[in-house]
Amino acid sequence: MAGQVRLGRGASIVGVGCTQFGNILETPGIKGLCTEELAVKAAFEALDDAGLEPKDIDAFFIGGVQMHTAHMFAHYSRMCDWLGLQRKPGIHFETACSTSNTGAGLAAMAIGSGRWENILVVGVDTILSHPLDNPPEREPQDAGDLWTTTDYGADQQYAVPHGWDIAPGYGALPTLAYAKRYGLSLAAMDEVMFNINMAVRRQAVLEPKAFVKQDLPTLAQSLGYSDPWEFWNSQYNPYAAWPTRALSCLNPCDGASAYVVTPADKAKQYTGKPIDILGFDWAAFNGLADKDPINWDVDRLPFEGAYKMAGITPDEIDYLSVHDCMQIYQLVLGELCGYLEKGQGYKAFLEGRTGSDGDKPICTHGGKHGKGHAFGASGGSDIYEAVKQMRGEAEGRQIGKVPGISVVHNAGYCMHTAVTVLGRRDS
Amino acid sequence: MCADSIVRKFYDALEEGTILGTKCGECGAYNFPPKTACTECGSRSVEFVELSGKGELQFYSSGNLPPLRFAEYAPYAYGLVKMEEGPMWLTMIKGVEVRDTDRMTEFLAELPCAVSAKIEEVAGTKIVTFEVA
Repeated sequence: MAGQVRLGRGASIVGVGCTQFGNILETPGIKGLCTEELAVKAAFEALDDAGLEPKDIDAFFIGGVQMHTAHMFAHYSRMCDWLGLQRKPGIHFETACSTSNTGAGLAAMAIGSGRWENILVVGVDTILSHPLDNPPEREPQDAGDLWTTTDYGADQQYAVPHGWDIAPGYGALPTLAYAKRYGLSLAAMDEVMFNINMAVRRQAVLEPKAFVKQDLPTLAQSLGYSDPWEFWNSQYNPYAAWPTRALSCLNPCDGASAYVVTPADKAKQYTGKPIDILGFDWAAFNGLADKDPINWDVDRLPFEGAYKMAGITPDEIDYLSVHDCMQIYQLVLGELCGYLEKGQGYKAFLEGRTGSDGDKPICTHGGKHGKGHAFGASGGSDIYEAVKQMRGEAEGRQIGKVPGISVVHNAGYCMHTAVTVLGRRDS
Repeated sequence: MCADSIVRKFYDALEEGTILGTKCGECGAYNFPPKTACTECGSRSVEFVELSGKGELQFYSSGNLPPLRFAEYAPYAYGLVKMEEGPMWLTMIKGVEVRDTDRMTEFLAELPCAVSAKIEEVAGTKIVTFEVA
């Protein structure tokens, strides 16, 4: 690996925005919006948060993944005027589901180069529906079609024709591997997965913008179960791919996120609480078949690289956000990145330590199941949550000991990992 | 490597019952399936080799909502194989339980286990599946 090069000029996040995560066909707050309007909603919130206007932005990076459901490419052209950024330099970029985390590194590089100062990063995806010919009407997207086109991110020459199936490959296999590696029975793993879901849904109901509106006990109750554990084992929670259950999987949704990044030395002009981008790293890997299902190179290398650039060790992490499309990854990546003790990390979930009221908070917005997964917007949503926590603004779900160092990890399909280390200025 | 499509050569070879990978001239690693560079060290000095078809099944599962293209094959086992020469591969697994989760749980204790390649046509394409011995 090449030596890490420090940027010539630091970069800080001075404004964040995020829409409701839901379905633009029905969810209050985003219902009836087109893709452009959804992106603008998050972008303008970020601008307002920073006290800036479009004229103050020097360049913009827009991320979006699903062209087939958005009926969109050239996001920069199609959205520049909506954003008040016509004639400004802008690009579309994409690293699948890690897109708007990768944007933080792009913004930092843009500022570090000296070329531009104030950068707007936007992530947006509309995947539950697609446009009809008479705008702004849309119709629901068939799930089979959605996943068929999402699989264009996987190796179509070899891997996909070989029986490619995401739930076994990305959910079941790491769960089985963890259980076998550390001597847990599958019954014990199921209890761990139950506790992870309890935590993410409990957190999600504390975030008004989250997709999930009922914690697990409430959901269970609504379907006639007074005991959430009984509900967990019921017909309502079948295996997506044994031993991974349906509730352990992501909730795909529509949404947009945005953040404004400025030079670190100017950040205090825009906010009293700048959040510095201390380090970032990425890795690309073709497919899911790495040597060790619970220690993928594509994740480990960017954690190491981002920590090295930021000059931190894992024990300094106060808040961790990992890409938990499959909730098993809260455990697997929690250990891989050094936040949880290797081989013992599952206990943190059994002991209820990973919520915003715990000492090992992870994904306090509910993660990809609770907050929801809006593909290209999710990295920005995770950064939004980290920034809110670090500013002490995560109302209702604030981590008591306000995080000084946060690490945000996202995994793009199939695969790209982006890791960004954020630091509170006065910490 | 030749100017012709490596992908085409791979699938043509499967029609003849041959499983092609590559061997790296620099680091010695075997890669599967064949590409234009070594997946371990990145060297472009890779040459086609025929692989033995022997491997070890690491883990497998069975999805309850498989992709549309494999709908008629559901339920099927999908698992991770470590091939004898080193490469890892995810593919359909034959000869294992896919419905009875109690039996699947018991079988987990026997993994990894020996498997051998079985070239089969699936959804119109010849692919390399692995079968439990």
